[in-house]
Amino acid sequence: MDRRTFLKIAGVSGLSFAASCTSQPEKTLYSLVQAPDDMVTGKATWYASTCRECPAGCGVLAKNREGRTIKVEGNPLHPINRGRLCMRGQAALQGIYNPDRIKTPLLKEAGKWRPVTYAEAEAILQAKAEAAVRNGKGRVRMLTEVVGESLLNLASQSLENWDSKGPVIFEPFGYEALKEANSQVFGLDGLPSYKMDEADFLISFGADFLETWLSPVEYARKFKDMHGLRGQNKSLYFHVSPYQSLTGANADFWFSCNPDSEHFIALGLLREGIRHGNGRFLPEKVLTAIDTVSSPYTREKVSELSSLPPELFEKLYIHLQLARKPLILGTSTSATGANNLQTNIAVNLLNLVFDPDLELIDFSNRHRVETADRRSTVLEFFTELKSGAANLLLLNNVNPAFALPPGSGVREALERDSLFVVSFSSFMDETTELADLILPVCLPLEAWDEYGGKAGIVSTLQPTMGSLTGAPNIGDVLLRAAFGPQRPVKNFQAYLFAQLTLRDAIRGKRDWLQTLQKGGLFQSRKQEGGLQVALADTFQSTITTPPTPKEKHLVFFAVPSIRFFDGRGANRPWLCEVPDTLTQVAWQTPVLMHPETLAARGLKQGDIVQIESRWGQLQMPVYETVGVHSKAAVVAIGQGHNAYGRYASGRGLNPIGLLSPELEPNSGGPFFAAGPIALKKTGRSIKLAHTDGSRDQHGRKIALSVQLKDLAHPEHHEGHGLGMWEFPLVLPLPEAYDRKTRDIYPPHQHEDYRWAMVVDMDKCIGCGACSVACYAENNVGVAGEARIIEGREMAWLQIQRYEDPKQREKITFLPMLCQHCCNAPCESVCPVYAPHHSKEGLNNQIYNRCIGTRFCSQDCPYKVRRFNWFVWQWPEPLNLQLNPDVTVRTKGVMEKCSFCIQRIKDAHNNAKNEGRKILDGEIQPACLQTCPTGAFTFGSLMDKESEVRKKVEDQRAYQVMGYLNTKPAVIYLKKVVQDI
Amino acid sequence: MSESPQLTYGEIDRTVLDTLRPPTGGYWLVIMVLILGVLLGAACWVYQIFVGIGAGGQNIPVAWGTYLINFVFWVGIAHSGTLISAILYLFRAGWRNPIARAAETMTVFAVSIAGLFPFIHLGRIWIVYYMLPYPNQRYLWPNFQSPLVFDVVAISTYLTVSSLFWYTGLIPDLAAVRDKATGVRKKIFTILSLGWTGKHEQWRHYTRGYLFFAALATPLVVSVHSVVSWDFALSVVPGWHSTIFAPYFVAGAIHSGLAMVLTLMIPLRKIFRYERIVTMKILEAVAKTIIFTGLIVGYAYAVEYFLAWYSHNAVEMEAFRWRALGDYSLEFWIMVVCNSMVPLLFFFKRIRTSIPWLLGISILINVGMWYERFVIIVGSVAHGFIPHAWGLYRPSAIEFGIMLGAFSLFLLFFLLFLKHLPSISMTEMKETLDHGGDHGD
Repeated sequence: MDRRTFLKIAGVSGLSFAASCTSQPEKTLYSLVQAPDDMVTGKATWYASTCRECPAGCGVLAKNREGRTIKVEGNPLHPINRGRLCMRGQAALQGIYNPDRIKTPLLKEAGKWRPVTYAEAEAILQAKAEAAVRNGKGRVRMLTEVVGESLLNLASQSLENWDSKGPVIFEPFGYEALKEANSQVFGLDGLPSYKMDEADFLISFGADFLETWLSPVEYARKFKDMHGLRGQNKSLYFHVSPYQSLTGANADFWFSCNPDSEHFIALGLLREGIRHGNGRFLPEKVLTAIDTVSSPYTREKVSELSSLPPELFEKLYIHLQLARKPLILGTSTSATGANNLQTNIAVNLLNLVFDPDLELIDFSNRHRVETADRRSTVLEFFTELKSGAANLLLLNNVNPAFALPPGSGVREALERDSLFVVSFSSFMDETTELADLILPVCLPLEAWDEYGGKAGIVSTLQPTMGSLTGAPNIGDVLLRAAFGPQRPVKNFQAYLFAQLTLRDAIRGKRDWLQTLQKGGLFQSRKQEGGLQVALADTFQSTITTPPTPKEKHLVFFAVPSIRFFDGRGANRPWLCEVPDTLTQVAWQTPVLMHPETLAARGLKQGDIVQIESRWGQLQMPVYETVGVHSKAAVVAIGQGHNAYGRYASGRGLNPIGLLSPELEPNSGGPFFAAGPIALKKTGRSIKLAHTDGSRDQHGRKIALSVQLKDLAHPEHHEGHGLGMWEFPLVLPLPEAYDRKTRDIYPPHQHEDYRWAMVVDMDKCIGCGACSVACYAENNVGVAGEARIIEGREMAWLQIQRYEDPKQREKITFLPMLCQHCCNAPCESVCPVYAPHHSKEGLNNQIYNRCIGTRFCSQDCPYKVRRFNWFVWQWPEPLNLQLNPDVTVRTKGVMEKCSFCIQRIKDAHNNAKNEGRKILDGEIQPACLQTCPTGAFTFGSLMDKESEVRKKVEDQRAYQVMGYLNTKPAVIYLKKVVQDI
Repeated sequence: MSESPQLTYGEIDRTVLDTLRPPTGGYWLVIMVLILGVLLGAACWVYQIFVGIGAGGQNIPVAWGTYLINFVFWVGIAHSGTLISAILYLFRAGWRNPIARAAETMTVFAVSIAGLFPFIHLGRIWIVYYMLPYPNQRYLWPNFQSPLVFDVVAISTYLTVSSLFWYTGLIPDLAAVRDKATGVRKKIFTILSLGWTGKHEQWRHYTRGYLFFAALATPLVVSVHSVVSWDFALSVVPGWHSTIFAPYFVAGAIHSGLAMVLTLMIPLRKIFRYERIVTMKILEAVAKTIIFTGLIVGYAYAVEYFLAWYSHNAVEMEAFRWRALGDYSLEFWIMVVCNSMVPLLFFFKRIRTSIPWLLGISILINVGMWYERFVIIVGSVAHGFIPHAWGLYRPSAIEFGIMLGAFSLFLLFFLLFLKHLPSISMTEMKETLDHGGDHGD
């Protein structure tokens, strides 16, 4: 072989070796042949729209990058959520990009699905409607979720055009008891908004207003306006319920009572109030009536019926009596037990007696969810269908086959041969499976629409991205199907314009465009006068026929989940992955029971127990918590689907199977409780997919709290040390280094900025929105149930929950993220400098430098680093959601919170272009941006005027395990607690 | 050395060179089994490289598992080889001569095996060279603050020095083999023996060189395992962050290494009929040393508890309470009993002169020392500062496969060594005869 041949061979083989050894084979960048005029590659476009993940109707801004929506954030102009979103809102993206989304219409033929085109599907729909119309009047029916006024009008007009009645509006959580109570006490059959922020004392008889009740993001904000620390003051909030719930965990005190006994407590309070002269401004007749119903409930009687000790009842009463503007809220979203209506009536009366002005209950700005039909109407609807009263049924985003108890007759009705069922759903859920034609319509983030979460609000929806599947708007489908070529307007967009013009909301095209830009019209209505008492004659008989509490029996409660709402969130991997804050269990549905209940039956956490009610049985794992009464067993609604895609199907359990299909006769509402139930040991047990190692801080002073009365006395504060010595707050700044006493190495010098975060634990409600926002923004991998059991969850930001070992129902939430220490233990141990201290104080993780020794994680005292154990999967098209500004990490690499460095860089670019410094508050990390209560503050500590700098001066400021002298840049403000 | 005067140069040569005769079928069968074990381990590693480190059982908080346990375990095993061959040589303890070769060989192989584990452990093995200080256009150097970089330096130094030391000691023996060998073997051994003729000049250089190597290797016995201990002691983790770690690890290493010497020598002695060379007295001397190292290890365990209590640090105290009573208490008690209690049985002469007892106890110490590394590496981070992050770890099948592969590889090397190189230093045995007895006696 001569020299040349050798060189040739060596060159070619070297090249081919090099070429085959690439770790990321796909590196192709495609550019658009013809880019839209307003699209600048690398720059996001934001579209205002409205969140339709629940009936609250929060405003959103959708971030569109290169043609696809990659993040949704709250619309700061929107009066309901003011720029914030809950975790379900954040996860709306995983609806559009869901890998199990139906991409084309499907027609059922001989039990099998055949794909058809949209045109064919619409033609079938039209033909079926015409055929139904030929059969007579009322042959076309529609069941829809709560929709905006315009779409509802269109649906009604379409059905009218088909000689049929308007649509029935079905929401699994329809607030029947609350509406009935309002109707009986105030004469108004609706759902008012509550001015929680103006109250100085709050009692909730189970209303889970921080999770799902009416409008959780709005009420979380208002709650903290009231309950957050203002100067040296803070209002009180009490929760009275047989189970705690996340909302109850935020209360100053949770009054645990027997199941079905809340109304006794409310009546007892009424009795005491009237005895002490409250309510004397009420009309004589009303007062007498209230007195009559409440007089039997002496303290002793209440105590006996509710198991609430007399001294606690006394405390509850005294604080209510002392309050100047108390607000009392009724039962939870899914309501509680058999006494649901009674409790809500008694609560309304309590508001009447203790706050005669009733200013805090605002019937002018009602919640739109009140338009939902009562469950009785929905069940009648199915009975009619079962009897063959219709030939065509349209289903708009409802899943009654999942959400109604098995005996409700949904399946029988839908399976009738004479009924042609068209589902507009984009997902193969339990109800859609029963349909004859699936005509998927575009999802809210792709649609033109309008939805006002509250009366007086017009909130618009516009497509935030191009359609992924080509699905039409439901409005257009209805227009074409019902009116054909003679339709009054060209399309649904024009219909909306006409409707809003008709309602005098907008004037002209320009106004319409401006409205779309802002996301809606946000003049909330002035409250019209005071609320009048209009006691219905029936109220006395209703309230005095309470169910008798069942002694010694266990009552089963199915409660809504902050993660899945009524179950529609169960196919979003983020919502499954982020654990429920109180149990820290992800992916699974455990039954929550009191330690005493478990001990009496020889059960322990993780054991599988068979629960039997009159209507069904379920086998589920047990979770031990003192957050439920010993006579209650609580399960969250949402999981246990047997369809609805890979993330929902077969995961967890659906507690609705244990519930009665019967209704409460007065309100026509369902029972979300079942009792008595029988528990049977199965002898099997599973590993719960929980992310916590211990519920107790073990005296380590990690999540600290301070008594309100000690606030002004720092000497009484819990020290920051670990019992060995007290350690000062050491800011991550050069001036905080003391080389005489505690530092060996010289300080880091920072250039212009030293980024830091302040977390006010007094504001944190543990809702977990921050965590999901972080998954969305930072391309955090979803590990799944099995991996979480192995301890491999990837959350960059976790809400840790700690129980007080002395009073386990007292709970503190601690958002834990990378602390960006100035003296970071992770930085010094990495052999290759992958954790790197930036000149702005950030603890950067250089992914392409990381070789995966995992030493940094071992040495991190906060355990906030996450390792890519595998290549995490984003099944197509979920990958389209990935944030192009953030690297998708590969296997073998360590990662962690970066303080959203991509947003910091963006702010740098903007500031540089404009020749200025970054303004305080200009950078909003994703967690901060979405936090409904504003618990986070972010900024530079080097700016003496910055908000973070001011907040670290707060006497509540401390660093988690500050004594390690890591000088964390995440500074916590102690939670302020009050003993009652 | 009561029996040694009966031996002659010729007998030593014969006894040792007899071991190099062509092996039986049983030997090759064992070799095949071991090769299969190695292949299994290799397959597991390849699988892990393709799937990700998740193939193992590690998680957050326990991000280090059996890979680093085995790393520390094998480095520990390596230590007593150098102790016996170098330190005892310098101390002129003649009883080490018959076992020095095997112990030194064990060192070289154990360090090699240990050196594999950090590679297996890495999340991205394909860029392991980032740890080396090679010139690059980014002006990026390894972080010399990191104990892992200390490890790279310490382990590679140790491997280099102990290999050279081993080879130097082998040269006269290789020449002896060469003289008796024929055919290809003769050629190979001619090259390996580097032209050794046994001239006075060569002997002078050889003995000087050997002495210097011994002197050079001696500090490494202390330094390497001290450096390994700093992987832990230089962190903030409760249960790791302790000044006792370096001496504690060195003592533990020697403890495990001596036990491994017994575990290997006892069968060897039986199979190769070395009874007259590796006498009971020698085994007894090893056992006595084990009592001493066992006492040091036991003392270290006690001191750790004392320090935890004395610090009055809630985290530290809880870490040690949990160690003895928590989820890994079984592992902890295996460690305590096997390492610091069982060796005390060697106080009884009947036990330390009984072959079954010696073998049994040495195996128990090996097991105990493995669990010591488990307790330290897994048990500390599993129960660290943040109670919310506490978690447990269990090795996966892949990890067991790799562990099996590593043990197979070690035994494979060792068995190949036994049949192809003189497993007892003929030179040093003859020196002992020449000096008419043991310096130590």
